[in-house]
Amino acid sequence: MRAWVLASALLAVGATAVGTLAADPPEIPVAIEKNRFDPDEMRVKAGIPFVLVITNKDGGPEEFESKELRIEKIIPAGKTVRLRMPPLKAGTYPFVGEYHATTAKGRIVAE
Amino acid sequence: MAATFVVTLREGFEAALLLGIVYACLDRFGARQHYRLVTLGGALGLVASILMAIAVTRLSGPLLDLGPDLVSAAVIFAAVGLLTWHSWWMSRHAQAMRGAVQRRVEEAEATRRFWVLGLIAFTGVFREGAETVLFLWGLLSQTAERASFRPLGAGVLGVATAAALGWMVFRGGTRLSVRRFFTVTTVALLLLAAGLFSTGLGKLQGLGVLPPTEALWDTSFLLSDHGLVGGFATGLVGYRARPTFVEVVGYAAYLVVACVLCFGGRRVSSAG
Repeated sequence: MRAWVLASALLAVGATAVGTLAADPPEIPVAIEKNRFDPDEMRVKAGIPFVLVITNKDGGPEEFESKELRIEKIIPAGKTVRLRMPPLKAGTYPFVGEYHATTAKGRIVAE
Repeated sequence: MAATFVVTLREGFEAALLLGIVYACLDRFGARQHYRLVTLGGALGLVASILMAIAVTRLSGPLLDLGPDLVSAAVIFAAVGLLTWHSWWMSRHAQAMRGAVQRRVEEAEATRRFWVLGLIAFTGVFREGAETVLFLWGLLSQTAERASFRPLGAGVLGVATAAALGWMVFRGGTRLSVRRFFTVTTVALLLLAAGLFSTGLGKLQGLGVLPPTEALWDTSFLLSDHGLVGGFATGLVGYRARPTFVEVVGYAAYLVVACVLCFGGRRVSSAG
């Protein structure tokens, strides 16, 4: 019984891994400019992983932070970071640029 | 300005708290001569943070996409291990150290385990160190652009305030009796480690290493984890306004295991 459970668990993990590798997740470009996100709202399909391609066009670093999604990611000045996002349940997920949280705000809407 | 102050205060709080506690530990163990181990650990943590900050600005491609996350996850779990080990060690030696001061010194000397405190200082400073360095760096370049020292001043003030809080923890700790200090510190460190452990699990979920799970509850209307108080609560006990299933289970499981480890054997040792 235990072996069967283990085998199916492994199979499930394997299938997920293959599935993830097989389909190239869609990429969503985001720019940081003048301490704001552009666009500041991204609409994605629920349940499908995607990649945020964040480019920081400002002269200083920014930290992309979403408490809801447990993501903290530094984007140095002038750099582009590819952020792999897990499949999201339908809903709204706010994020901020922690270093300029008063202006750098946005949200991901999964639907 | 206030936002800048809050960022550095929040980032520096956990490091200051840990430094305050480990210095106080050495004081209460009667081993002040080993302060330098903690100072060295903290200083190396700062150096590592600066190197990491430089690396992050130089890297690009997959190294930049994943590298810093892997390092920070490794630091988190290393810190959990060190804090657990230290708490366990303290609980085992608590009995002996409650005796005469002299005996306490000998016992402490004999064990020569203080390098762990240095490592705790290192991980404490390094954990959010690179972020703080980069943030201050950004403020510094703003200073040049806008010819105003106010943003940088606010950032530095945040770090200084965190340091002052760490100092207060140290002063408070050294005023407790040895017996009370052991109990308070063990409980505080285990809660802090439980919080770190669940933070690490959450991070792995965010990275897609662990599957995402739903938030079990939402207390953001009571205490948001974006604010200053919420930030302190996160640093102290791992507060999350919307904890995921994995985080909650991990937090609870860690506490159960660690408490058994640290408090479970006490009856046996006092009987023996």
